Amino acid sequence: MGFNPLDHQGIPLDRQLRNWRELDVEPVDPDHGDPYTKCRIIAMNGIEVEAILFSHQFARHCPDPDVKRQLAQVRYIEQQQQKVVNWLLPGLASVLETTISYEQVAVDLTGWIARHEPDPYLKQAYEFGVLEDFDHLYRYANLYEMIEHRKAESIVDGLTEVMPGRPTKFHHRHPADNVREPYDRSTVNPLSRLHALTIMAAEQQTMNFYMNVGPQYMEPIARRLYQEIGLIEEEHVTHYESLVDPGESWWEQLVTHEYNECYLYHSFMEQEPDPKVKAVWELHLNMELEHLRIACDLMRRHDGREPREILAPELPNVLTFEENKQFVRGLLDTQMDLTTLGTGYVRDAHERFEKMQEQIHGGEEPPSEQVMAQHREMFGREYRVETEGEHPDAALRERS
Amino acid sequence: MAGIAASDADVVALLMRQHGEIRNLFDRVEGTAGDERRAAFRELVRLLAVHETAEEEVIRPFTRTSVPDGGKVADERLAEEREAKELLSRLDGMDADDPKFLPELRTLRLDVMRHARAEERYEFNHVRRHADKARLASMATALRAAEAVAPTRPHPGTESAAKNLTLGPVTALVDRTRDAVRKAMGKDG
Repeated sequence: MGFNPLDHQGIPLDRQLRNWRELDVEPVDPDHGDPYTKCRIIAMNGIEVEAILFSHQFARHCPDPDVKRQLAQVRYIEQQQQKVVNWLLPGLASVLETTISYEQVAVDLTGWIARHEPDPYLKQAYEFGVLEDFDHLYRYANLYEMIEHRKAESIVDGLTEVMPGRPTKFHHRHPADNVREPYDRSTVNPLSRLHALTIMAAEQQTMNFYMNVGPQYMEPIARRLYQEIGLIEEEHVTHYESLVDPGESWWEQLVTHEYNECYLYHSFMEQEPDPKVKAVWELHLNMELEHLRIACDLMRRHDGREPREILAPELPNVLTFEENKQFVRGLLDTQMDLTTLGTGYVRDAHERFEKMQEQIHGGEEPPSEQVMAQHREMFGREYRVETEGEHPDAALRERS
Repeated sequence: MAGIAASDADVVALLMRQHGEIRNLFDRVEGTAGDERRAAFRELVRLLAVHETAEEEVIRPFTRTSVPDGGKVADERLAEEREAKELLSRLDGMDADDPKFLPELRTLRLDVMRHARAEERYEFNHVRRHADKARLASMATALRAAEAVAPTRPHPGTESAAKNLTLGPVTALVDRTRDAVRKAMGKDG
């Protein structure tokens, strides 16, 4: 029998506030420990940021002062949760190191979700995205070696390969072609709702992160690469957010957010080897159970509907950070040359795509190509981690 | 073009790469045992000595004289270095297979990293802001002179620990590094 968050009682809201001492968590070690612990921290931070931003948008559209106050109370606790989760990251890590962990999250979280998504159209959307995040990881890893003389394998630890995906320069599509079809809220599998929300939140946080840290770099190539990949994160957020049915009511969306937070804290608690981090996941799960109860009450009162109608009878299988190497290699073999047209996918570079490419590149190689050229000039080779053999696509094998 | 590839003439880029190499060496010491670990540790001690001496001789004086409030910045870095040096000398007298060696090494690693990040965030950015290209280049030349005193080898697995010791004690190495840097600074700076 699985875990049903609707059947468990959490910590009462008026006992959830933490003082400065409790907020002052000890960060994880920058160089030791499971790389996926950092991935879970980064993913969960994205989830909390989404919870906060969603709640603010809700409040701005909500005329009822009592509901506004209720939202404000829960949101303040969510801000504390975000502070605790994100402050588990070590100050000793450089921005680029954290960036590489962000891309490892993007590859292995999206990879896992693509493998487990029941709806074929949604599955294709995740598969499409994985190959782009995978290529970003490769570009940043090369930049990292140039600036810090460290290899990205010291961060990803052989769990995720580092080699070319769909080349970053081809990710710049006409914005209209980034909008997908939404799922239908009346027939969708409850698991699909959670997947869409999770990936949207993760990509949104990545977008926000690059928007803000990119200009902290002094090296011209670093500044330019963050600009380029930052713009692709905008495309990814557009891509994933359009999968969500816009007909879901605010109350329904609130319940889904809180349920998803229960699901993810529960999942991460089940797999976390670091005891101090695990204690955070467990505590936050117990807080989220109460946030979910409050959201369900609001939905019943204001939407006149029973939350169980839209939720799964129990939590789905634990969402797991694990290797997706063979899955990614399969995509490299079959989906490299895809792009989007309207809400679908095509293999040919169509007119609107070509026009966008021409305009944004302005007749030059983009930063994602320049970084590779500069790396080759400096080291006489590229940086890659190919633990499972040579690249599946013969055209992308390294020429020496 | 002012890419990183062309920045061998930028002392800050060189120092940041040395920070990476120091961390790589910590990885090697932690990942080996016996003679191999002793050899990797000698290498680490050597690189740390050369790197810190060069920073004291090349960067700190510039920070003191050319960066606003640079005296305080330099003092804070020196205090961090002193702490790391004390820990390093304790480790230096310990056998690499001693069960207490790795925990102490881990503490040293965090101290060294904290110091390196503080330099990158609170000192090097000022150096880049206040030094012109020629000055960054002349400081880079001095740093390379220091590296030449005790070149690090990327794959020292084959050499014996005894052979490594022939470089002499750390203090002598520090002296030689200082002489080399001063000579280079006199010529170029």
